[in-house]
Amino acid sequence: MRILIVEDDLEAAEAMDRGLSEAGNACVRAADGEEGLTAARDGEFDVMIVDRMMPKMNGVQLVETLRREGDQTPVLFLSALGEVNDRVAGLQAGGDDYLVKPYAFAELIARVAALARRRETGSVQTLLKVGELEMDLIGRTVHRQGKEIDLQPREFQLLEFMMRHAGQSVTRTMLLEKVWEYHFDPQTNVIDVHISRLRSKIDKGFDRPMLQTVRGAGYRLDA
Amino acid sequence: MRLPRIFRTTPFRLTLLFLALFLSAASALLAYIYVATAGEASRRTDEEIRREMHSLVAAYDRAGVSAVNQSLIERAASERPFLYLLMNKDQKRISGSIEESPVEKFNGDPTWTTFQVTDVDAAGRTVKHPARGLQQRLSMGQVLFVGADVGEDEAYVAQVVRALWGAGALTVVLGLCCGLLMSRNVTRSMTGLTEVVEAVRNGDLGARAHVRGARDEFDELAAGINEMLDRLERSMAGHRHAGDAIAHDLRSPLTRLRARLEVAYLDVEAGKGDPTQALAQALEDTDGVLKTFAAVLSIARLQAAGAAPDPVLFDPSELAASISELYEPLCEDKGIDFAAELADGLQARGNREFLAQALANILDNAVKYTPAGGAIMLRVRRRSSGEIEFSVTDTGPGVPDGDRERVVERFVRLENSRNQPGAGLGLSLVAAVAEAHGGRLELAEGPGKVGEMGPGLRVALMLPRA
Repeated sequence: MRILIVEDDLEAAEAMDRGLSEAGNACVRAADGEEGLTAARDGEFDVMIVDRMMPKMNGVQLVETLRREGDQTPVLFLSALGEVNDRVAGLQAGGDDYLVKPYAFAELIARVAALARRRETGSVQTLLKVGELEMDLIGRTVHRQGKEIDLQPREFQLLEFMMRHAGQSVTRTMLLEKVWEYHFDPQTNVIDVHISRLRSKIDKGFDRPMLQTVRGAGYRLDA
Repeated sequence: MRLPRIFRTTPFRLTLLFLALFLSAASALLAYIYVATAGEASRRTDEEIRREMHSLVAAYDRAGVSAVNQSLIERAASERPFLYLLMNKDQKRISGSIEESPVEKFNGDPTWTTFQVTDVDAAGRTVKHPARGLQQRLSMGQVLFVGADVGEDEAYVAQVVRALWGAGALTVVLGLCCGLLMSRNVTRSMTGLTEVVEAVRNGDLGARAHVRGARDEFDELAAGINEMLDRLERSMAGHRHAGDAIAHDLRSPLTRLRARLEVAYLDVEAGKGDPTQALAQALEDTDGVLKTFAAVLSIARLQAAGAAPDPVLFDPSELAASISELYEPLCEDKGIDFAAELADGLQARGNREFLAQALANILDNAVKYTPAGGAIMLRVRRRSSGEIEFSVTDTGPGVPDGDRERVVERFVRLENSRNQPGAGLGLSLVAAVAEAHGGRLELAEGPGKVGEMGPGLRVALMLPRA
């Protein structure tokens, strides 16, 4: 993947660059909003990581300008501002996701991967398929190896998210934000309990587990 | 050019204002007194002259010039003699007590004039007296002048004027005194307030203005300043407390983190051991610190804003259902019986995100402290007062009566719960959320002791009626 990093904190940008490059991405860095705008106009990127507060042109202005020009590249906002309205403002400006500093590296990589994936699946799907697992989005049914699996509504949503991001690490915070739509961190491992329930339904009685725990990051659904 | 400071002070201006007020009132009064006394005296003299003229004219009309002459001679002996002068058609003296008419231009119409009359006093000195007279033409063409010495009147008027000047001076003095007194009063009140402001500016937040009990504007101002300072002091104390608490709760994990990193560094430097374990631990410590930090920040923001941001109307039971859906599996895993009793058709107003977090924190606590085999009950209802109440009752060890207040305070964790994870900020945040919504947080005993279980804790978050 080609990733544009627009961040005025050079050390943070370098760390991001290194981590994302090691994960197999090609990164381009810009140190302020104007530089970022030029780079975005000139290059083709799969994802842009944009800091909200920068000199010359801030992140929101940058993304608004790009969106006006018709650039639909997915944008992940980074911000030290974590208030609900800050997040809403970022998403309204055309951002696709919002990550509050400081963040865990696994979180950043997982979100960038999720954003890039979102772009590929543009068309409306009615059937999701990951290996032996099939999900009918209209009939609201799930089958593995032809056997129907009975899921609660929330388990269905959880599995749908995992299937849409199959093969990628998904963090607990992402699940809480995207499946439950809560933006706070619970003190206890509520998400783990939900995942283990889901796991017992889709993996129990089958030869091979599909729902994997990724140490230090979260979970991954493998085909 | 700038005036010296004294001239720019409010007391000085007040004094001037008082003086001006006194002076204008006194001037009006004195002017009236002058007109009523001095003016009246000169009107009376004019009237007497007119009457004398009238009687002489009457005598003339009856018996001619000789009768007038006769009258003049008779009257020369009277106590307060008028001044007379009878003249022929060419205004040549015929008879009278003065030699020539003081009227300079006489066209035949009755004419008033003011002049000086020369007299000789008891000591033989020649003195001049002010006098006034009327001259008019008689029917046969002669001219008659009647005047009067107004020296006595003038003396009286002069006396009145002197008295008035005295009164004026007295007024000025009185006005000044009054003004000074009043402004001294104002100054004293202001000085008290200024001193308080000065003290606060120099860092003494304990300074308070003296309320004299006069219930005037100064007392109101003083009371207002005191209330403002009370609030400021409380808020500062809160911040200081928060600062201490942050220092306390962040310092220990940061110290641990630093030590871990240092040990790992030394180990690597000495070429022994694998630092992976230490680094993983350090990362975990960092996450703990960041969580505490985020909670403190949320509390601080809520308290600083004083109100819940972006409030919306929502169904509290629906919110509770969504949160219990998140926690139910956790309870089941721990062997805790979870039940929810959610009333229908309720409406509340607030920030959903913060309230969801508050409920999650309450449930977090309940799950954390309730042992396997226990029970947790989540209830949403409307109280008779109209308040919306979210309550979570557990069968854990509960909180002793005397400690319930303390539990809500920031960072407080009871001694025996030190081994449980959590930054101790859970209920503080709930309290901050409740307060920001104009609601409150109430801690009470749970269902009571049952065997090993209990007595439990009941945490209730009340929102005001929507």
